Amino acid sequence: MMTDSNTVEGDFPVHFRYTAGLAGEKFLREIKDNGRLIAARCNSCQLNYIPPRIYCERCMSKLEEYVPVENSGVVQSYTICTQDNEGKQLPEPVNIAFVRFPSAHGGLIHKTKEEVCVGDRVRAVFKNKSGRTGSILDIEYFEKIP
Amino acid sequence: MPFEPPGRGLKEEDLERNNVLTVAYQPMAKYAWATGVAIGRFLNGLKAGEILGTKCDSCGRIAVPPRIFCEWCFKRTGTWLKLPDTGTVNTFSISYIATDTTRQKTPTIPAVIEIDSAGHAGFLHIIGEAKPDDVRIGMHVKAVWADPEKRKGSITDIRYFKPHK
Repeated sequence: MMTDSNTVEGDFPVHFRYTAGLAGEKFLREIKDNGRLIAARCNSCQLNYIPPRIYCERCMSKLEEYVPVENSGVVQSYTICTQDNEGKQLPEPVNIAFVRFPSAHGGLIHKTKEEVCVGDRVRAVFKNKSGRTGSILDIEYFEKIP
Repeated sequence: MPFEPPGRGLKEEDLERNNVLTVAYQPMAKYAWATGVAIGRFLNGLKAGEILGTKCDSCGRIAVPPRIFCEWCFKRTGTWLKLPDTGTVNTFSISYIATDTTRQKTPTIPAVIEIDSAGHAGFLHIIGEAKPDDVRIGMHVKAVWADPEKRKGSITDIRYFKPHK
């Protein structure tokens, strides 16, 4: 498609379908079916990985044990998005935070209900079971714990 | 014990039957490509129904699509030429797969066309009005132009090249 002879415009019709992998699938299904967070346990390193993965990134051992993780954590970092991922202005700013959990190694990036600061304690709010699809968005958002 | 990698292969039916959780995503991959001086003029030429090239005043080499410098002698290519809209098939392919990887019943025949009187210079286009089996290297072809009011200053202002005696 041409606008004028100095610019050629086009687009790539790229479609992705992303699978979560073995551990990611377990993690998402636990959220969907039980409204719970889980981590993959490495007994030799004494670490619980969230999101879970199938190998320990320290000792390379295979991880097959899963442990529950509390659904409340601490804001490690945050940002406020005013544009969507195509650069368009959002009607409302979206708060995004990286949340760490006391008993687990790693953390989750998700939306927060309200503006948060580093160090704020937050908890996951899950969608109603009927509305869950097996997506990370089955967590509606994280909200501040007063 | 032999090493057994974890995981399992996925089949199309696993995705169709939602045996595994997936996230579908389509990135916005729009682009705008600046043509530069020479190609801009070339595209404007196509809009006017002309194939333009440049001639190097130093070595005489003709470039089509045109360039603003000769890559043989690094001189500015000063002379613009109006070239004929006929040429010769340098190489071609018969493609049963569209750009989005879907299969097509009627193949597309992309070919590099060496424009007449331009040495071996030429460009990639498609062959039309020819059966795949009849296309040959060295075949003489002629441009079939889009109607003037439909031209946009694009390489597709030439619809295709057809066999020509």
